[in-house]
Amino acid sequence: MSFITTYCHLTKDYCSVNGTIAGRRDPESADSWFKQIYKEKEFVYPKFYKMDILSQAGFLASELIKRANPELVTRYKDDEVAMLFGNDNSSAETDVRFRKSYQENGAPSPSLFVYTLPNIVMGEIAIINKWYGENMFAVLPKFVSGFFVDYAQILLATGSKAVLCGWLGIKDKSTEVFLFLIEKQAAVGIPSNADNLSALAGNTSFTTD
Amino acid sequence: MAYIGAEVMISPLGETTEENWLALCENRSGISLVPDAGFDKEGLYLSKIPGLTGPARFRGLLTRALKQISEKIDPAILPSARTIVLISSTKGELDGNIADQFGEPAAALITEFHLAHQPIIVSNACISGVLAINAAANFINAKIYDHVIVIGCDLISDFVVYGFQSLFAISDQPCMPFDAARKGISMGEGCAAVVVSSDREIYKDQPLRLFSGASANDANHISGPSRTGEGLVRSTKKTMNNNGITASEIDFICAHGTATLYNDEMESIAFDRLNLTHIPLNSLKGYFGHTLGAAGVIETSVCMQMIRQGMLLKSLGFREKGTSKELNIVSANKPAQINTILKTASGFGGGNAALIIRKI
Repeated sequence: MSFITTYCHLTKDYCSVNGTIAGRRDPESADSWFKQIYKEKEFVYPKFYKMDILSQAGFLASELIKRANPELVTRYKDDEVAMLFGNDNSSAETDVRFRKSYQENGAPSPSLFVYTLPNIVMGEIAIINKWYGENMFAVLPKFVSGFFVDYAQILLATGSKAVLCGWLGIKDKSTEVFLFLIEKQAAVGIPSNADNLSALAGNTSFTTD
Repeated sequence: MAYIGAEVMISPLGETTEENWLALCENRSGISLVPDAGFDKEGLYLSKIPGLTGPARFRGLLTRALKQISEKIDPAILPSARTIVLISSTKGELDGNIADQFGEPAAALITEFHLAHQPIIVSNACISGVLAINAAANFINAKIYDHVIVIGCDLISDFVVYGFQSLFAISDQPCMPFDAARKGISMGEGCAAVVVSSDREIYKDQPLRLFSGASANDANHISGPSRTGEGLVRSTKKTMNNNGITASEIDFICAHGTATLYNDEMESIAFDRLNLTHIPLNSLKGYFGHTLGAAGVIETSVCMQMIRQGMLLKSLGFREKGTSKELNIVSANKPAQINTILKTASGFGGGNAALIIRKI
């Protein structure tokens, strides 16, 4: 048995933690929506400004999960927290920007190129938290609750004690970010199964099965 | 228990596993000087598949590999509801559709081969291939699927070539893994596939045993190797401990060996910390170049052939010790009884992964 203990949504207009709204986008602001969250929540990690949009999303949602569940950073050994992320378009947003750097802006940009892999976000989160655990990034045509539940269960059966999972659906016109923590043992949480996970993912436009 | 077999390789060295093995035994390299390949139209040493041009190259390679796979296993396996396909790749069909690099090729495989499940793309930079094979073993051991086909594939494109050029990571000569004069990577393209299964009877040729390995993040840097080799040490140690395998049982190490200064140095430090430096070791990048997401599957397939054929392959491009910790690098092909091989990989994002295969 394992439990979904904490979760966070970032959409185009709001962010929420455990289903409760934690911030709304100010359309008047000069800052990007993710920068608004960073400032409003008073995060202090200047490297945030160098990150691409996938890593910014992963940073914000994982930090919000840590604030809601501080034991995540104290309860586990440095290799007991695994990460299992996915989305439907890999690092496409940053890939387009990198291609533009050499097609239109004179030269390939190394600072963009290093973010043209979807697993980099897990590297960023590992660095911040000094997590030496398992990582996997999967590209699927849509969010599939069963995949995350099954593979998290595999990770929990092979040495990990918690799995930080994430769906990073970020496109030009839409933001569907959903991070959730599955823990092997927990005092509070709902059983980790596909139905429960679909219900938590539910208030977005995800298709689930 | 998981078996691994039916290995298929498509690379500049050949269209089939047999052609690739023949070229490897002759120490031939797929790397050659390609005119105008660089951002400033300079020539670059690349390992490119001859004649592979035009649209849908990625889909074409996946299809060719899966066709060859279908001839090496029970025909009922491919469309079975107990089978899933994992594709390890970093950039898929990037040149065809940068906004959706995997959707069309995966859909085409479902249609053409009547797959029961949506293929899953494992995209973890240069450890994708080893990670995908480990994921396959995990799915089998957890009894979620009975058979997993892992296809590793990546292509050379302006995108990846210019990107690695911008990092000053490309060698101006064919890459020389672990050598004192190494200057960086040679990019490569290729495709390989293996079948991981709980049932040894599905294979036309005898499979090998697959011991599922572990991955570990360095928690250090997104694009530079750890100076201490921490993640590689941890992933290798866990892979050995989880399977109860000791150093004395490992006959050979197929390292990552990209031929950048820092990567190869990191690996030597990690293998020294693991007390594995005496074990014969090679890097296969001198033959195939660095095929990114395909590398782990291509190199595991070569390891399977090394076990089957009883031959240690020379680490092509290596002449002189070039790391602070001395490794036992294979300097010439050598017939040998090989039972157990450790395969490792490390990559961007701080990822490291290992797996072990063994003769039955």
